[in-house]
Amino acid sequence: MGWRWFHQWGSPRWFYERAGRWQLVCGWLALILLVVGSLWGLGFAPVDYQQGNSYRIIYLHVPVAFLAQAMYAAMAVCAVVLFVWKMKLADVAMQSIAVMGFAFTALSLISGAVWGKPTWGTYWVWDARLTSMLILAFLYLGVIGLRAAFQDPDQAGKACGILVLVGVVNLPIIKYSVEWWNTLHQPASLKLTEKPAMPASMWVPLLVNILGYYIAAAYLVLGSMRAIVLQRERRATWVKELVSRA
Amino acid sequence: MLEFQFASLAAFFEMAPHGVYVWPIYGLGLLVLGGLTWVNARQHRQAIRMVQRNLEREETHES
Amino acid sequence: MSIEKRMLARELKLIAARPGDILKPMWFLMLVISMVPLALAPDSGLLAEIGSAMIWVATLLALLLNTEHLFQSDFSDGVLEQWLFLDRPLAWLVGLKLIAHWLFHVLPLILITPIAGLMLSVPTEVLLALLITLFVATPALTCFSGLGAALTLGSTRSGILGVLVMMPLFVPVVILAAGVLIRATDGSDTLPLLALLGAFSVVAATLVPIAVSAAIRLNIGGSN
Repeated sequence: MGWRWFHQWGSPRWFYERAGRWQLVCGWLALILLVVGSLWGLGFAPVDYQQGNSYRIIYLHVPVAFLAQAMYAAMAVCAVVLFVWKMKLADVAMQSIAVMGFAFTALSLISGAVWGKPTWGTYWVWDARLTSMLILAFLYLGVIGLRAAFQDPDQAGKACGILVLVGVVNLPIIKYSVEWWNTLHQPASLKLTEKPAMPASMWVPLLVNILGYYIAAAYLVLGSMRAIVLQRERRATWVKELVSRA
Repeated sequence: MLEFQFASLAAFFEMAPHGVYVWPIYGLGLLVLGGLTWVNARQHRQAIRMVQRNLEREETHES
Repeated sequence: MSIEKRMLARELKLIAARPGDILKPMWFLMLVISMVPLALAPDSGLLAEIGSAMIWVATLLALLLNTEHLFQSDFSDGVLEQWLFLDRPLAWLVGLKLIAHWLFHVLPLILITPIAGLMLSVPTEVLLALLITLFVATPALTCFSGLGAALTLGSTRSGILGVLVMMPLFVPVVILAAGVLIRATDGSDTLPLLALLGAFSVVAATLVPIAVSAAIRLNIGGSN
């Protein structure tokens, strides 16, 4: 295992051939987990005595919010791999994750806002979590926009890599400063961090959903990566053979 | 632990008083996941078509 | 003449050739500040309250829009390519350029903020805090906008992308500065926050030029 396995990742062809299978497995797994998890959370988890049924949004909001942040960190890992090992696939991954990550961030913001309406009365509050998520959305947008500004994919990859690394270093600083800012301006009456302990009947379906969304993200990223690999390697012999065979 | 929390299926869909918040969000989630899947598939098809066109162009050049 | 002196001479020459580059951001700041009472009401009590925050944001924007073209003239004159072969680390040269930019383009901007403060009836203690926070925070902001400029160097179609890409990273600086301004209004101790702000600027000024030089190398080397 070890190095040989690692170096196979340097080959887009190896990846393309295997990723098709991985994508299929992830897709079905995610589908099952999400259907089960969502129905469980929607219909079988107990009603929250404070928030009633609106809390059921968390079965979508929380996994998606976690993903939004995890995917940025994943991009940073891709950037490191790109710069240290010059692996082109890492750049392809970065490109895919940027788009998927942004979609999840947007979903997290919207679900958070809609959850906020019955809970706090307004669609938007500048609390620490929503504000940090908004800035994360802008960070993703920046990475996507920067890639579009370049013609050469290698240059684009390196530029985005620099941006992502600078961003990931700043992310904890941003999060911390937003939390601090929030404690400054928070009127005591608004208790936005209500976290009584969750009973198992509530967090078990949450775990199922988290797993489901993570695998769904993997499914989507793999799918996107395969399309990008085909496009980038379109002049390669193996691609031509693949297409003419189909 | 696994007890259906609603009196009937109709109550489930209504999810009073918050159904109007909960269901659209799940619908949006489905839309996003489905939409991204569709976009990926389309990009994949476009990539294949691009390679096919290149192949045809090469063949006409050779002949 | 040493490399550093040559750079300074070139900066002064560029300023002499295009003094508008320094004046336009100042002009922008005054215009934006004039919009604020127009958007509110001339006698609004809010003006004094939000005045300092508005000035901060407007100065931030003026700085950003100006820094976007930070490397443009050096790039088109071929000077950036020369930098790659000079006997100094690229990050050092970048740092010098950023310092020069801060001294000649950002500092004048900061120095007219008291006028804007007067126009918005900002109280004097807050005005002082405003000046100090801008003074301490703008080195970090200049470095980051330099990074945005360097990343979008080659592409002519990028528009204000350099600005958009960097703005989220300004959040900690804005928040810290706002904290100082609030404490200045209360009369409580601003020093710890200012020290933090200063530390952030120092670290940014040390590390960001490295990223900037990587971005420059990327855009010069690859554009052939």
